[in-house]
Amino acid sequence: MIKSQKITNLIITVSCLTAATALAFLFFYLVPNNGSNIALIYILALIVIVRFTDGYLPGLFSSVIAVICVNFLFTYPYFELNFTLAGYPITFLEMLAVTLFTSTMTTSMKEQAKLIAERDKLLSEAEKEKMRANLLRAVSHDLRTPLTGIIGASASYLENDGTLSDSEKNSIVMHIQEDANWLLNMVENLLSVTRIYDQSTKVKKTDESVEEVVSAAMLRLKKRIPDAQVNVSVPDELLIIPMDAILIEQVLLNLLENAIIHSQSEKPILCFVDDDSQTVTFHVKDFGIGIAENRQYDIFDGSSYTGSTDSNKGMGIGLSICKTIITAHGGIINVRNHEHGAEFYFSLPKERAPHES
Amino acid sequence: MNPKKQLLLIEDERNICNFIMTTLKSNDYKVSYALNAQTGLSLAASQCPDLILLDLGLPDMDGIDVIKKIRSWSNLPIIVISARTQEKEKVEALDAGADDYITKPFGTSELMARIRTALRRTASGSGSQSPQNRYTAGSLVIDYEKHIITIDGEIVHFTQIEYKILTFLSQNAGRVITYDSLISHVWGPFADSNNRILRVNMANIRRKLENNPADPHYIFTEIGIGYRMIDNENQ
Repeated sequence: MIKSQKITNLIITVSCLTAATALAFLFFYLVPNNGSNIALIYILALIVIVRFTDGYLPGLFSSVIAVICVNFLFTYPYFELNFTLAGYPITFLEMLAVTLFTSTMTTSMKEQAKLIAERDKLLSEAEKEKMRANLLRAVSHDLRTPLTGIIGASASYLENDGTLSDSEKNSIVMHIQEDANWLLNMVENLLSVTRIYDQSTKVKKTDESVEEVVSAAMLRLKKRIPDAQVNVSVPDELLIIPMDAILIEQVLLNLLENAIIHSQSEKPILCFVDDDSQTVTFHVKDFGIGIAENRQYDIFDGSSYTGSTDSNKGMGIGLSICKTIITAHGGIINVRNHEHGAEFYFSLPKERAPHES
Repeated sequence: MNPKKQLLLIEDERNICNFIMTTLKSNDYKVSYALNAQTGLSLAASQCPDLILLDLGLPDMDGIDVIKKIRSWSNLPIIVISARTQEKEKVEALDAGADDYITKPFGTSELMARIRTALRRTASGSGSQSPQNRYTAGSLVIDYEKHIITIDGEIVHFTQIEYKILTFLSQNAGRVITYDSLISHVWGPFADSNNRILRVNMANIRRKLENNPADPHYIFTEIGIGYRMIDNENQ
């Protein structure tokens, strides 16, 4: 046992016994002939001692002291030890039994709690590690594609400078720009996630107005895809909920962009916000091809992307980042198909959880 | 035609520096550049440029300190160049006296618009007050003399506070206004910096002003920083 722990044990034991004795004296003078109450006070003190100290020693030690105190101070003849009183051995045994019993129980309770805490910590570490590994794998896979494009296009521009027509040059530079924009999008997503990892998977929440976040996401979407068709609406009533607005904006942007790029439909996207009693839910609804049933379960994992085709590059990372962000907010993100396409939705709690301030 | 405006670019990335210089020159500005803060500060003092473009991530000095140093002797417009996720840094820069910021990466048109807005502030003379007595954007008109706001020619009623917010934003149209400066302008310097009441007023304004509050045309939110009102068409 560590030295400081020993000292704490000693302090707790001594102070509890002193308090019990003081209380017993008070009782003794206020209510005469009340031996049973005094024994109860000591038993209470014993239980407290056992609960807040480690090991069996303090409990055993204090039960002996308690028995001696009761005998010496509070039973006739006062201030004399007399173990021949009728029934006294039984009191002694009782106190010992109570102490032993409670100290065994609390000791095993404490050990169990410690074990559970350790297991939880290991599990969450493993979970985080897995998330990180998945992300890294998906990232390196997805970053390589546009980089290859950019390097190839710029090399062919430089090597064939004399022979390319203006329109060919134009198209090469346009491809470079497209790929570079895509890379930037990816990097911004990744940067968002570092905001979470910096603070050990907790986000820093401030009260933000929902409509401002939605409109900011719309603004960025229009900058990126100028002819995007989105019908967006927010509730009439102003909603202010705790969140990291930069991250939620990123989630909305990812979902909207995915809907536009991957739904394979020209119909306008619907984006709206529902206000429930406990949560606020954001919806992004497209009218396209929908999401295959078997993909709906792992679409937010990011893992489903490694090794698959490049046909929807980037969607994997974007969505797994969305999930990371929403989970860190204590919210839920999901996808479902409706009659004419897919609907992504995520909800955020209106109130802060007790540990967030 | 006015004489060419002299701009100073302080940016340590040579590639970005080149691209901005090319853009500015092709838009008829004279540009000089510095690759670090020390050179930048001495160039700013010797050339007295009309505007400074300042990257916040310089190798030899904190960008905020550069702004403070320049502000200690000059009121010339400063536009800060910064990355997207560092909204705290942007607010700090604006509070230290920067006029505006632009987020990397930016398009040419965006950069030019910011520069025009910032240059206009000095051209109009005294501080942030615009001598214009009228603000026009799309179907929105604010008449400062008559205290009247109309949309499509119809008068819309705003509360005192809402009107104050709108005047402040529109007189600084095109510039981002931080939550704190808006609050201290409208409610006074000792107002609580809790911006909930500001959010509520902005929501009310939005509902009176915009067709769709989720997709505004006049006042834009810059998340974590403040608001920006669309440019005045009168100028």
